[in-house]
Amino acid sequence: MLNERTLNVRAWFRSGEPWIWVNAAAVGISIAAVTGILLLIAWRGFAHFWPASVALISYESSTGEFETVLGEIADSELLPVGQYLESAGSRTEALPEGMVQVERLLIKTGNRRVEPPDFSWLVAHRIKEVRYPPDVVVLERMEWGNAYGYLTQVSADGAVVSEGAAAWQDLQHRLQRLSTQRAEIHDLEQGQLFSTNYQLERLRLERRALEMGAPEGDDPLAAAAALDAREQELLADYEVAESTLRKLRDELRREAITLTSATGRTIEVNLSDVVRAWKPNQMSWTAKLGHYGESLWIFLSDDPREANTEGGIVPAIFGTVMMVLLMSVLVTPFGVVAAVYLREYARQGAFVRLIRIAVNNLAGVPSIVYGVFGLGFFVYFLGGSLDALFYPEALPSPTFGTPGLLWASLTLALLTVPVVIVSTEEGLTRIPRSLREGSLALGATKAETLFKVVLPVASPSILTGMILAVARAAGEVAPLMLVGVVKLAPALPVDGNFPYLHLERKFMHLGFHIYDVGFQSPNVEAARPLVYATALLLVILIIFLNLTAIMLRNRLENRYRGVEG
Amino acid sequence: MPAADLRTQSSDAPRASSSSQDASLVVDDLCLYYGETQALKNVSLTIPKRQATAFIGPSGCGKSTLLRCFNRMNDLIDSVRVTGSISLEGQDINAKDVDVAQLRRRVGMVFQRPNPFPKSIYENVAYGMRLAGKMPKPEMDERVEWALRSAALWDEVKDRLKESALGLSGGQQQRLVIARAVAIQPSVLLLDESASALDPISTLKIEELIHQLKSDYTIVIVTHNMQQAARVSDYTAFLYLGELIEFDRTDDVFTNPKRKKTEDYITGRYG
Repeated sequence: MLNERTLNVRAWFRSGEPWIWVNAAAVGISIAAVTGILLLIAWRGFAHFWPASVALISYESSTGEFETVLGEIADSELLPVGQYLESAGSRTEALPEGMVQVERLLIKTGNRRVEPPDFSWLVAHRIKEVRYPPDVVVLERMEWGNAYGYLTQVSADGAVVSEGAAAWQDLQHRLQRLSTQRAEIHDLEQGQLFSTNYQLERLRLERRALEMGAPEGDDPLAAAAALDAREQELLADYEVAESTLRKLRDELRREAITLTSATGRTIEVNLSDVVRAWKPNQMSWTAKLGHYGESLWIFLSDDPREANTEGGIVPAIFGTVMMVLLMSVLVTPFGVVAAVYLREYARQGAFVRLIRIAVNNLAGVPSIVYGVFGLGFFVYFLGGSLDALFYPEALPSPTFGTPGLLWASLTLALLTVPVVIVSTEEGLTRIPRSLREGSLALGATKAETLFKVVLPVASPSILTGMILAVARAAGEVAPLMLVGVVKLAPALPVDGNFPYLHLERKFMHLGFHIYDVGFQSPNVEAARPLVYATALLLVILIIFLNLTAIMLRNRLENRYRGVEG
Repeated sequence: MPAADLRTQSSDAPRASSSSQDASLVVDDLCLYYGETQALKNVSLTIPKRQATAFIGPSGCGKSTLLRCFNRMNDLIDSVRVTGSISLEGQDINAKDVDVAQLRRRVGMVFQRPNPFPKSIYENVAYGMRLAGKMPKPEMDERVEWALRSAALWDEVKDRLKESALGLSGGQQQRLVIARAVAIQPSVLLLDESASALDPISTLKIEELIHQLKSDYTIVIVTHNMQQAARVSDYTAFLYLGELIEFDRTDDVFTNPKRKKTEDYITGRYG
């Protein structure tokens, strides 16, 4: 009986069934882990944009006084009693009989600068009453985060324009008009003023170059006069733009609104500082959805504000995409040429094998080491030499001798070139000899065979290499911090000023943005949801970049299907 | 002699040869070594023009190696060393100043397995011509059609010239490869067991094709199918362990072999 069972178990093991189960379990766990991560990030990130209801909480403090708090319930957690008492300090506190865990709520009370702190923990069992008054107004401010309160009045030039219920309608109208004015200001700042500034700076450099020695045959006096004339013109332009801007700004500053907070304090907010205003407790589902969409759009299409904790992340998306594209453009030809030489032309032997091992090991070097190398070689040596040769007029302020987009892309290209080499080489070895011989037998030279037959057939492998390179490069942060990424870049690397692509500029990057918002921001609590949202965006961006490359590869693969069969 | 001459020399230049007809390829005392091992031993023979010549012999006897000497395909292998001479219509093909690419344009080759390029049928045939330089489109079209007709493939593919060559059947692919070789109008066509990987019907088609092509080209085929050699060739060479044992008219080799080894092989004693 027992014997029979052992035999059965043994037979079961020999059939390989347990092995299949182990495999299936491993795959299942992997899939669950990946979807779990994505879901968590998506949930934590995108919940941030939902216009949460604002609660009015009556609360009995530990000293027995009653307080009212107005804010969004951001989080809740359960603490063991012991830990709670410890965190409460030396205060002895009468807890309800038989309590094991204490529930704490994190309330986002906003109103920073008026009623600090803007986040506070409340103990659940002390809360007496929670209400959701319909009249609560949430203001998203340009600075200092959200404000919560009741709208009392709108004023212009110091005189009250509207009060009470009428004030809300009035505010909505004014905010609508405001957004067009704000767009005007933005256009002026980023467009004309920026461009004039840029040209003035170039003019300054030209003048400096002239002082350092005019080119042969040019009349330095005439050239200087021409520069002067252009400068006068630009300065006049600048004056006009500047005064328009000042007028627009003054216009904005005329109006103000007044809120009353939960504790009865008045908060006066300049209307120009208000981004949006809404009454979450009155909003219907559809209205909330609309608001949510708007918030998401702002996140995806605006510049960051408030040390990156508010507003959008456009420069970071743009910087990441630019850097990855530039890296791909640099790494692919370089890697392919190297692989072709190693596989097709170099005499296969111990030396080539050694090089191949070295290339493979290069892929294992920690990325920060590449960052240090990039800083030392690209930035200081190459960039410094470039400056001395081509931009002496700008010295001592460096042009290319400082971290920037080009150096970051080059560093990452160096980081990912082993991947491209290895995968291209694999593709080249897989090409059957008969195909090469077919081409050679028709009178093609080795190079003709390479370009007309071998490389096209190997192109899916080359693209696979590129896909792996993109995946690795888009997620790198550490080396970038040394060679070009900054917290806040004053300008995008592409704009309307000649030469349109500014490779020497510093740029923003989603990966670094996550790090910056999560660890370097003045208000970590407020910024945490943004960390998740940015992380999700980074993942989506990488998936998007990869899918594009994968689609391209699949099309090529279809064309060459059957070659290896 | 400069390489260009190799291509432009007219094919009717008279040359004395051991056989009664004009010679295409003359092999004289050819030895070939793979590193230390000798694969061909003092082979001498003359392949007549516009005739089909078959190389037969057991596996490893050097018949493919000999064939690959004619368009210098052995150059691709680093360790190969050749002594003796081969001349194509009077020119030494191993001379230093011979352009190998030009030589291969004159000596086309079809391999054992069909190896079409992953391009369209049209582009496969046009490949060799495009290498030679620009050609006006109408002329190219004409030449592609002519080559496909020569390879008896035109009627099967004329409506799908733009489709991938990889979609053709094995036999069609092999005829496409022949068309590709014929398109650049070589004077010699080498077939390295080109019908051995195909089904019987495709094999038959290829054999018919060889029959037609030999009126315009010198054809050299390697085969280990003796019936095939007997069917398609005018001359037969029997090689054994790197040596040329016998070379004569096919009828004579098969009906009246002069050497004992040949007789043993033909009658199936070994191989």
